[in-house]
Amino acid sequence: MLVLDATTAPESVMLGGIDSWPMVDTPRTEPTPDELRGLFAEQAIPFMDQLYAAAMRMTRNPADAGDLVQETYTKAFAAFKGFEQGTNLKAWLYRILTNTYINSYRKNQRSPYQGTIDELEDWQLGSAESLTQGRTTRSAEAEAIDHLPDSDVKEALQSIPEDFRLAVYLADVEGFAYQEIADIMKTPVGTVMSRLHRGRRLLRERLADYARERGYIAADTSTGSKK
Amino acid sequence: MTDCGCDKAKAELEEFLHRELSEQDLQDIQEHLDGCEDCSTEHLVGLTLSQKVQRACQEKAPDELRASILASLDRAGSASR
Repeated sequence: MLVLDATTAPESVMLGGIDSWPMVDTPRTEPTPDELRGLFAEQAIPFMDQLYAAAMRMTRNPADAGDLVQETYTKAFAAFKGFEQGTNLKAWLYRILTNTYINSYRKNQRSPYQGTIDELEDWQLGSAESLTQGRTTRSAEAEAIDHLPDSDVKEALQSIPEDFRLAVYLADVEGFAYQEIADIMKTPVGTVMSRLHRGRRLLRERLADYARERGYIAADTSTGSKK
Repeated sequence: MTDCGCDKAKAELEEFLHRELSEQDLQDIQEHLDGCEDCSTEHLVGLTLSQKVQRACQEKAPDELRASILASLDRAGSASR
């Protein structure tokens, strides 16, 4: 593994590291700006589509999403010297993206219940516990969800509280581990699990509503659906 | 049929889906799902939800954005020379 952060590397490691670097005229203890730029282009730039997709779900519009991704890359490049090679770059980039979003964008569109959302009781969020009961209706529910257009899914995602949405996005779309999501969102793992659970329940409920509206599942199945 | 493993399975389906359980628990729940249609259809809904959201959220960064980010990276390079 290359040790890029010269300030924290013990001398022996640094000497070993230098040996494995390309030959240069003068001895040095850290990569040149050109080398860093090359590494960044090679490692960080490929995440652009994914970061943009996440930014779209955060900001909800292409202009802000573009600005957010641009700012994320600017910050990431400025901090890249301190990134420890061999650790999870994707999670590192998402941390910067999420921080940037929260600090620069969310301020402007703060929702009234932000900050207290985790304290809401389940009943306040609507009881989606068992939207459908029994095997037949549940298979039908899965099939209906599968047939919904992408626009319905994005709209449903957009309609759930932001912290829940972000947890669902990071887990289900990006496949981050709970601990990584906790690091990105700066919350304990237990909070991640609770946001994820509630977010997925709300999402499932919204999608069932859409499916009913579109006639994919029967409007009333007399099984205790909440409406 | 009071304890057929459904309670444990249902409680942990989400962690099962996200592979956030120990090998032993993953295996236990998988075994339960294999033999329980009720729980396996519940899991199917959860799995479908995940896959659906994943597919629906794919985006491609606009070309102008890509060009602009690469240009700033180039500028950062020439500035440091």
